[in-house]
Amino acid sequence: MSHDVFETKDGLKLRKLVDLKPTTAKEYQDAMLHRVEKFSKRQDSPFNDFIENTVVQGLRFILDSKVKIDNMLGENKEKVQNIIEKILLAGL
Amino acid sequence: MYHIEGTDYLKQKYYTKTKSICPECMDKIDAIIVEEDGEIWMKKTCPEHGDFKDKISSDPKYYKWTHYGTDEWSFEKNGETNPPDIKGKDPRGCPYNCGLCEEHISTCQLALIDLTNRCNMNCNFCYANVKKSGYLVEPSLEDIDRVMKHFRSKPIPPVAIMFTGGEPTVRKDFPEICAMAKKHGFKEVITATNGYGFQKKNGGLEWTKKVYEAGLDTLYFQFDGINNATLEKTRGIKNLIGYKERVIENCRKAGLTSVVLVQTVVKGITDVEIGNVVQFAIDNIDVVRGITYQPVSLCGRITAEEMQDLRITNADVIKEVERQTGGKIGINNSWYPLSTIVEFGRIVSYLAGVEPIEFTCHPDCGFATYLVVDPKTNEMVPIMDYFDPLKIVDFSNRFWKKIKGKEKKQVKFFENFVGDFGKTLDKGVNWLDKQQLKVRFLTGMLQYTKKPGKLMEMFSRMLLNGRWESVSAFTHGTLLISSMHFQDAYNLNIERCKRCIVHFGVAMPDGSVFESPFCTMNTLHRPVIEKKVAKATTDKVNNEFDTSKGQAIEDLAQEVAYNGGIDKKEE
Ligand code: SF4
Ligand code: SF4
Repeated sequence: MSHDVFETKDGLKLRKLVDLKPTTAKEYQDAMLHRVEKFSKRQDSPFNDFIENTVVQGLRFILDSKVKIDNMLGENKEKVQNIIEKILLAGL
Repeated sequence: MYHIEGTDYLKQKYYTKTKSICPECMDKIDAIIVEEDGEIWMKKTCPEHGDFKDKISSDPKYYKWTHYGTDEWSFEKNGETNPPDIKGKDPRGCPYNCGLCEEHISTCQLALIDLTNRCNMNCNFCYANVKKSGYLVEPSLEDIDRVMKHFRSKPIPPVAIMFTGGEPTVRKDFPEICAMAKKHGFKEVITATNGYGFQKKNGGLEWTKKVYEAGLDTLYFQFDGINNATLEKTRGIKNLIGYKERVIENCRKAGLTSVVLVQTVVKGITDVEIGNVVQFAIDNIDVVRGITYQPVSLCGRITAEEMQDLRITNADVIKEVERQTGGKIGINNSWYPLSTIVEFGRIVSYLAGVEPIEFTCHPDCGFATYLVVDPKTNEMVPIMDYFDPLKIVDFSNRFWKKIKGKEKKQVKFFENFVGDFGKTLDKGVNWLDKQQLKVRFLTGMLQYTKKPGKLMEMFSRMLLNGRWESVSAFTHGTLLISSMHFQDAYNLNIERCKRCIVHFGVAMPDGSVFESPFCTMNTLHRPVIEKKVAKATTDKVNNEFDTSKGQAIEDLAQEVAYNGGIDKKEE
């Protein structure tokens, strides 16, 4: 809970600034995983789909590498993005 | 807002023509929306009742951006409409022909059913309340079933349903109604609530578990602030905070982890609590999925001066969020009209073969942003730290433009030569085509993604399968902050009405279902429609709640019997 609270003359407690730090960050991250767990219990759940799970793992790896490459590209990132976009839209 | 930076459009004063209604006689009149004195105003004149002027936005630059259009970019969209339910009879057209009439250009995305106008509270700005109206409106289970069927049988059916009221949870058969909605195929079952059923000291937790198991997914939870004094001003009840906290606690214990805090924003009363509500949401992020601000709508006759004092717009709310969060959630880089993701949604739905979600409401209706926890700093940051949203949207728009209509033009090549076997081959070709499109689209999305992590995994699942489970898991990793400014007779713009995506369904005595956009229902149609379905009220109904305490008289009597009075120490 933020401590940056002041009281108005009418006794209202207001925050000067919201610090945007959750005290339940761990529970929050778990909430997403619990959701997945709940859905996984259903037979037709996409979270049990072997192919999809493999693709997601693959994408995770690609994204990791992509973030590293982005950092290396620096200012040229946008140029490269434009070229890739053109390729992706070509022939559609 | 890079689309409009440096353009002539930005330098010119905003001006557009539209149609509205006279707040006095409700007749249709011309209106203009203009930029004046650094603000955007609607101006209109009724030949009989004179001039009216109402503020639409306090931020012209932002407003202009949301109304900017090029071949590739526009927030003003038309939906993939369902066939109309009726042929409009009133020659004046929209908004008198609800509905849905042939002029409507969006599909319903959120179906609403008023379950009752009974309520345990008596809020001063509420429109639907048995005590105020003097009659009871409460559809039977058969009526509700009919309305659900009506919505779900459309070619593009809504995926979400919300129960409204009154207070929906005062109905004894509420769990049954939730189960019924699931049976009809609604993926997301939501109830608007002040928390009544969930907060009960005796049995509230068990009840919460029961409705969750029955199919309730989300609470759209009335939450105006964290000070008792604020809630007393808006709801007329003392010491409400304990009541509100019990709802959150019971949801937490029951595993119902999807609560959206709904703050009605009233100038000088609840607007000061905007930051408080953000902080409350963050402190309870394990169960709170979002915040929705609703700038209050104005009813009845009010003077121009009163209007100036009371009117608060979406832009005011957004700027207040920015101010009260120390600039962390800024108007210039975090907020987007709901219609931003239309093309994105269409692509996902086409590629994954699921029901589309079409947020084609008018850009003045609603704005949203997502916050996520940065695992490194543990601080909540706008989702822009994870994505480049404008680039994603730009790419989606271009991509959709290229592939649009593909679903209607499936390959039928082999079928012509080798009959049934050819059909199978064609299916294969179509499947392969979709896969290559998926790869292209996913690669495009990855381009504009900045950080890896669990959230991104959920995002890619959403793109891959478009299933509601993936959307739900993704939203469980985020906090959605949105603002929807419902219209009233002063600012009603028929361009907004026609694009409305939030529709009431009412089972009519003649066996039909009356479908009406939320804003036209509340501004124009409610009194007429309700009178047609109203039942006489009884003393039992009138006296079942002590509306100064928000509790059932029965429960209060029990409390007195057990421990000598409710909330003794709080009094
Ligand atoms: S709001 Fe929609 S349904 Fe109602 S009259 Fe206008 S176009 Fe027709
Ligand atoms: S309910 Fe009103 S504000 Fe919301 S989408 Fe419909 S017209 Fe717009």
